[in-house]
Amino acid sequence: MQSEKTLFLDALDEEDPVVRQRLVELACRDDDELRQRVEALLAAHVLPANPLDRPVGMNSVAGRAIASAAESFRPTQHIGMTIGSYRLMEQIGEGGFGLVFVAQQEQPVRRKVALKIIKPGTDSKEVIARFEAERQAVAMMDHPNIAQVFDAGVTEDGRPYFVMELVRGVPITEFADSHLLDVRGRLELFTHVCSAVQHAHQKGVIHRDLKPSNVMVTLHDDKAVVKVIDFGVAKAIGQSLTDTTIYTRFFSMIGTPLYMSPEQAEMNGLDVDTRSDVYSLGVMLYELLTGATPFDRERLDSANFDELRRIIRDEEPLRPSARLTTLGAQMTTVVRTRRTSQDRLATSIRGDLDWIVMKALDKDRTRRYESASAMSQDVLRFLNDQPIEARPPSRVYQLVKLARRNRVAIGTALLIALTMMVGTLASLWQMSIAITERNQKVIALEEATEARQEIEQFADKITQANLLIASGQSHADSGRWQSANEDYARAVRMQPSYFLPWMQRAQLFIRLKLWNEAADDFRIALDLGAPTDSPQWAGVSALLLWTGEAQAYRNLASKNAARVMQTDSPFAWDALRGLVIAPDTHQTITAQQCVERADGWLRQLDTPLGKPRNDDPRRPRRPDGTDGTGGPPRHDVLGFRELGDSLPIPVCQYITAIAHLRAGDYPIAIELLEDAGSDDRWPFFELVYAPLAMAHHQAGNPDDALAALELSYLALESVARELINQPNVVQDSPWFDFVETLVLNREAAILIHGHAPRPLVELETLRQQSLEKLALEEM
Amino acid sequence: MNGEVTRILSAIEDGNRQAASQLLPLVYDELRRLAASKMSQEKSDQTLQPTALVHEAFLRLVGGEDRKNWDGRGHFFAAAAEAMRRILIDAARRRSAEKRGGKLQRCELLEEDAVLNVDDTETMLSLDEALTKLAATDASLAKLVELRYFTGLTIEETAEVLGVSPRTTKRNWAYARAWLRREMDDSE
Repeated sequence: MQSEKTLFLDALDEEDPVVRQRLVELACRDDDELRQRVEALLAAHVLPANPLDRPVGMNSVAGRAIASAAESFRPTQHIGMTIGSYRLMEQIGEGGFGLVFVAQQEQPVRRKVALKIIKPGTDSKEVIARFEAERQAVAMMDHPNIAQVFDAGVTEDGRPYFVMELVRGVPITEFADSHLLDVRGRLELFTHVCSAVQHAHQKGVIHRDLKPSNVMVTLHDDKAVVKVIDFGVAKAIGQSLTDTTIYTRFFSMIGTPLYMSPEQAEMNGLDVDTRSDVYSLGVMLYELLTGATPFDRERLDSANFDELRRIIRDEEPLRPSARLTTLGAQMTTVVRTRRTSQDRLATSIRGDLDWIVMKALDKDRTRRYESASAMSQDVLRFLNDQPIEARPPSRVYQLVKLARRNRVAIGTALLIALTMMVGTLASLWQMSIAITERNQKVIALEEATEARQEIEQFADKITQANLLIASGQSHADSGRWQSANEDYARAVRMQPSYFLPWMQRAQLFIRLKLWNEAADDFRIALDLGAPTDSPQWAGVSALLLWTGEAQAYRNLASKNAARVMQTDSPFAWDALRGLVIAPDTHQTITAQQCVERADGWLRQLDTPLGKPRNDDPRRPRRPDGTDGTGGPPRHDVLGFRELGDSLPIPVCQYITAIAHLRAGDYPIAIELLEDAGSDDRWPFFELVYAPLAMAHHQAGNPDDALAALELSYLALESVARELINQPNVVQDSPWFDFVETLVLNREAAILIHGHAPRPLVELETLRQQSLEKLALEEM
Repeated sequence: MNGEVTRILSAIEDGNRQAASQLLPLVYDELRRLAASKMSQEKSDQTLQPTALVHEAFLRLVGGEDRKNWDGRGHFFAAAAEAMRRILIDAARRRSAEKRGGKLQRCELLEEDAVLNVDDTETMLSLDEALTKLAATDASLAKLVELRYFTGLTIEETAEVLGVSPRTTKRNWAYARAWLRREMDDSE
């Protein structure tokens, strides 16, 4: 190249064309190609009308084109625009990369999607080419915690865009803070992120830009659902990071280097693998725990380029627990949003969580967790008080862990060991005084060693059972039901006296709609003393009723009653729901008490949107007596107001209505049910029909009762068919809405007709379908 | 705003490369805003000189008369040249798409299309492509062309911005000019 340039310029200096020609020929004696190139340059040099000789001017037209470019960049201009087969409806985000819109897709399916338009300045062709290269892998991903990327293309004005599943949520860190999640809650949420990332990695997709704003959390009923967005996008936008200018441009595009791994901060962008995502997960966990990132945001922002690389590559960040002490005034917020005190937070992080985070943040990726699921498993181990992998294993540490898990058991074991030793010594003494003191010591020592081995085996078993659970979960996520079932079964066999494996297996059966099997496992978990205030237990009451586990239902009900009557927790709707679902009165709580609780809670909620109920004594009022229309309310995924621990309002009204039904207040029950059922944002409003039928029947409206009962039955039929035909589609409503309808429908039919409803044949089909799934792979 | 750009320019002076990437969007937006306001204020046959536009943007964003010989100027013009290139190329792409039966609502604009006609649009786009290729082999040559072509700087001004002698600039320009022409003719 250089010689081409030099030769060309030398030739130009020669004005005589003949001499010039000779010069070139001479210089390129044995390089024909070079000669041709230089000759072409010289020819181009003298060609007339070289566009480069007219520096571009901006006449009115070009100027206006620029003006209109400025205009079209304003978000309002986008609304109503059509891009491909998508119509832009509202802007929901703006970032370093560009703008995000809600768009309506018409073809081939009608649905709302998120459409992300990338800022000008990237090479559209290249972006799309890179996306196409990865599209196959991206399309293979199917995970409830991953927002799917459907499509990519180029707008008319040449900007690349991506079409993806619409996720309306808030970044995970924001969610955790605004919902005041404690450390445990944060860790649990984090394991969902790991599971999504693990799934993508298994499909060969690396995210490359994991950060809180790409990990959204939405509320589904009262469950927090994690959605990781932008899989496949960072790779498409990111250039091969070998050129500094492109590299800095990439920096400005992704917004922040805070979550970037050392190998990404190196300029050889080719060398990024799944462990880079593990690093980013580490930064995110760090932030979830401490409210700060390993390196200060301000510091990285103001660092120059080389300094930035040096920090990310070489500087060892503070351990999370140590980082807490540097937070200063921020500490108050951090502590408050985690519902703890400074000392308690530091203590809970110090040790295991420090190790877990720092292992993920290791500069040397071979020393990080080898996968997202390995990291998640360690977090789960921590949550279950088991020894974590990240920590260098020491016997003492393992024993401390074991002791914390099994305080009672260990105490007993030590007592037994002691008794045994004493007993042994005594009998030996009696048997023969000829045995020397030395021999006695040897035997005692052997016994002690055996006892210790037993304890170690026990610890090993727990670890293995947890591994099996994690593996079962990932099999289930990928639809390998048989393998999932085997893993869970082994975990259960290994730890039959620990409730967690049973509960995990119950979740698998729930996914497969195998109600009896799920109920069995839940019953055992309950008997083993599982705490029942976690979201997994929502709806289990209905399940136990449906499958005829009467005793287990009563056990659960008494726990629910205790939760409902507890005065310091504001809402326990799911517990109340589990109580009122059954017709019989409960020993520890009366129907009237349920009504009082429900009415009290409902009053604390805001008026449902657009439905003022001025004349109603139960019209929700704030404790201060206002109706709470002062500030702008926050809305959750369904457009319902966010209510902290509460459920969407129609669901609360529905539960309250059944409480009234059980207490014999039929007109109030009817009114509440009709109100709840008319809220069209509720995905499974058909739930109201069965209780409505019962209330009408009791209130003496036989025609209304019959009509409602029929509607309830039809709804069940249609949902069951849907489940059969599309077993893999994630339902809008939680699984227990369906089971609860089955229960209430049966009760209503017996009340009104005097016998159970005609059997739903679809249920048997559904069951066979799932059993086949479990058996098919056996062969 | 003023201080922001000055701060970034100083940061670039201090060797902070990341700052360069912060400069571009600011200059880009300012140029677009400026062009838009010019178009709405003045007569429709007004011709905007890119050079004037860039100088005005510099005054607005950096200000200060005594900064004439300041080194930060070079960085600013380099960023401005890149911004102008993007603005014009984006505009050309949009026009090219409209010409091929794009959106109706902007047709009005096409009728006045006297100077920047479709040929020019196509030329600009193919020049842009060739320039991208040139940047891959010699980024400083591409920078030179951006300054000359998209902001209309003279050889002397360009030399000042790039910090090389006018003679070298002139020779480099001759080479880049022929190189691009060869490239554009080849790809036709």
